[in-house]
Amino acid sequence: MNSSITGGTRVWRARAKPLMTPELTTSAVLLFPSLLLLAVVIAYPIAQGFLYTFTDSSLLRPGSFVGMGNYGRLLQDRSFWHSLSFSAIFALSNVVGCYLLGLGLALMLQRDFPGRGLFRVLLLTPWIVPSLVAVVSWRWMVSDNGALANKIIAAFGGDPIYFLSNGNWTIVIVILIKIWVSFPFMMLSLLAALQAVDRSLYEAAEIDGATRWQAFMHVTMPEIRGVSIVLCILMTIWTVNDFDTPWLLARGGPANATENLVVHAYRYTFARNDVGMGATVSFVTLFILMALFLLVMRLTKGEHNAR
Amino acid sequence: MKAKLTSSNRSRRQFLKALIVASFLPGAFVGAAHAQPVEINFWDMIWGPAEYAAVAQKLVDKFNASQNDIKVVYRSVPWDSWYQTYVTAIASGSAPDISTGGSFQAVQFYSMDEIYPVDELIEEMKKDGSLSDFSQSALDTVRYHDHYVALPWGNDIRAYLYRKDILAANGVAAPSTWEEFRAAAKKVTKNGVFGLVCSGDQNGFQLMVTAAVNNGGGLFDPDRKPAITGERAREALQFVSSLVKDGSVNPASAGYSYDDSAASFMRGESAFFLDNPNVTNSDNAPKDKIGILPPLKGPHGDLGTFNGANNIMVYKQSKHPKETLKFLRWWSENQLPLWTEGHAGNLPVRASLLKDPYFQNNPILKYTADNYIPIGKSLGAAASGTFPQLNVVDGDGFLNSLAQRIFQGEDPQGPAQDAQAYLKGIMSK
Repeated sequence: MNSSITGGTRVWRARAKPLMTPELTTSAVLLFPSLLLLAVVIAYPIAQGFLYTFTDSSLLRPGSFVGMGNYGRLLQDRSFWHSLSFSAIFALSNVVGCYLLGLGLALMLQRDFPGRGLFRVLLLTPWIVPSLVAVVSWRWMVSDNGALANKIIAAFGGDPIYFLSNGNWTIVIVILIKIWVSFPFMMLSLLAALQAVDRSLYEAAEIDGATRWQAFMHVTMPEIRGVSIVLCILMTIWTVNDFDTPWLLARGGPANATENLVVHAYRYTFARNDVGMGATVSFVTLFILMALFLLVMRLTKGEHNAR
Repeated sequence: MKAKLTSSNRSRRQFLKALIVASFLPGAFVGAAHAQPVEINFWDMIWGPAEYAAVAQKLVDKFNASQNDIKVVYRSVPWDSWYQTYVTAIASGSAPDISTGGSFQAVQFYSMDEIYPVDELIEEMKKDGSLSDFSQSALDTVRYHDHYVALPWGNDIRAYLYRKDILAANGVAAPSTWEEFRAAAKKVTKNGVFGLVCSGDQNGFQLMVTAAVNNGGGLFDPDRKPAITGERAREALQFVSSLVKDGSVNPASAGYSYDDSAASFMRGESAFFLDNPNVTNSDNAPKDKIGILPPLKGPHGDLGTFNGANNIMVYKQSKHPKETLKFLRWWSENQLPLWTEGHAGNLPVRASLLKDPYFQNNPILKYTADNYIPIGKSLGAAASGTFPQLNVVDGDGFLNSLAQRIFQGEDPQGPAQDAQAYLKGIMSK
């Protein structure tokens, strides 16, 4: 018995020995402060927040343990399902909208034409403008019958549209603003990816008699696929976590039409003083995003292996 | 018998002298420490235009100059995220000694054992007769479980203002009943001008509450049970809905913020606007074109309007509650410049302050003091007193949704039922 343990320990030591190099020890020692800092500023708040989901805490009191009660309440909360569906529509529309716009403009900017540099700088403006300025400016443009949008509609003989007094129209405006703010990032990243595509592939396609469209579909798109997936995942996360746009435009209204998961969590926490439920909404959002991310990674990995 | 002054005697005497001096030194230090004034932190919300905070600071300086043992440190607190500001301060143990704040902040924090009740100050004022400067209804707004959780200081009352030019152009007299109001609003609605403008935020829900209390109802019944679907509140919501269906309410109202709606009224794009009458003193108000309607009489002959009482509260974390109460009393008695120089947006609670020429010489403010303040009712109407859940009702936003849905033209029954169910949820906690 003893000899087997000793033998096992010896085997373990023999396996572990190559790992315990002086370089590794030095790396571990050097990394330790950073890891400790990360644990304090990231892991601890996340763990603490997760624990709140099992309590009925308020902003002033830690509250008591309620088990899975908050998750149960959330499933029965109609406004949660509404905010979940709005978040999905918001994210999907923004990802599709700003990807198509960003890709179109990136393809255009890839070509050489007079004033390209200036055009590129101008197209970056929405991304540079602070979200408060962007949303308030849009608000002025659509707020009532005297706003710019309605003056244009009136010029074409149309009746005024009260964009912010109608839930469906407000959703459209929130999505438009988000696309307007987000597309420059998409455009810049895709432009970089396009410029990294090997030119010889296009020459080969041309020799094979491919049309422009075929070259785009069979050369460009596969080459920028990896970047596109990462960009879409990032944009989905940023859109789902966007508080500024729906809040500054309409405070999640009218009648909660543009209340996404983040605004919903904010309301629970700060308006209803229900930190437990606010944390639960936040963690459900996190779980959904993680599941989505893992699904996309698995699908793309599967496709990659199949190739 | 003179003692011979030997060196040993001398040294003994020197030692005794030193001992006597040394024994007084700590006392001197303690005395010096006692001479340091007690520091009180006063957090005051921004209750008026830019000059308000400067006037309030000047007032605090005046108090400090009159005191040797108390020094008040003034801090002006913006309304953005005000609730988080206070909650964070309390949770971290750095609450102010005293503050102004949201209408129901005091009662909510009191229920969390964070507020020092001002009962002894009320008792003191009762004894010397100065409490009679406050109306009983004003004191009721800060009374909870037989304690006074704050001292009231401002009336944030709502009254219907109207554009004299629009009514005159349409040959319409200032209405005094709901029926006349509806007819007038309908008549003036044309050519881009609407009868009424409101907003989808606080002002929207205040319009609903005003209509309900005007009709003898409210969000609650006298037993503090939700009553949004009660007969009187239902009639009130139906009245607002009828204005919407007539086309008399600016269709942008559901999406408007308060500032948007106030600007629209000031530009002459609507005839009526529900607001604090003090708004007529703002720089962009065309003062000669704005009048105040008499309190509207509901279909059952009731009068009433919404009054969000502003109060000032003392925190339990204060290490100097006695001194804080002393300052509170002084502040309450000497705060007139907050209006006359600082142009605070509300109206004083103290009857003596309302007698000042600043209010008496302003026809709209005088009319408000004489006719609206006596019929003002709190968010808790038709229940009496105050209760902690009102802070959630005030800040949650579900009443904003109620107003927005009605402004969008939805029949009030569905939104009222949803709001009632939601309110029941709040009250059950």
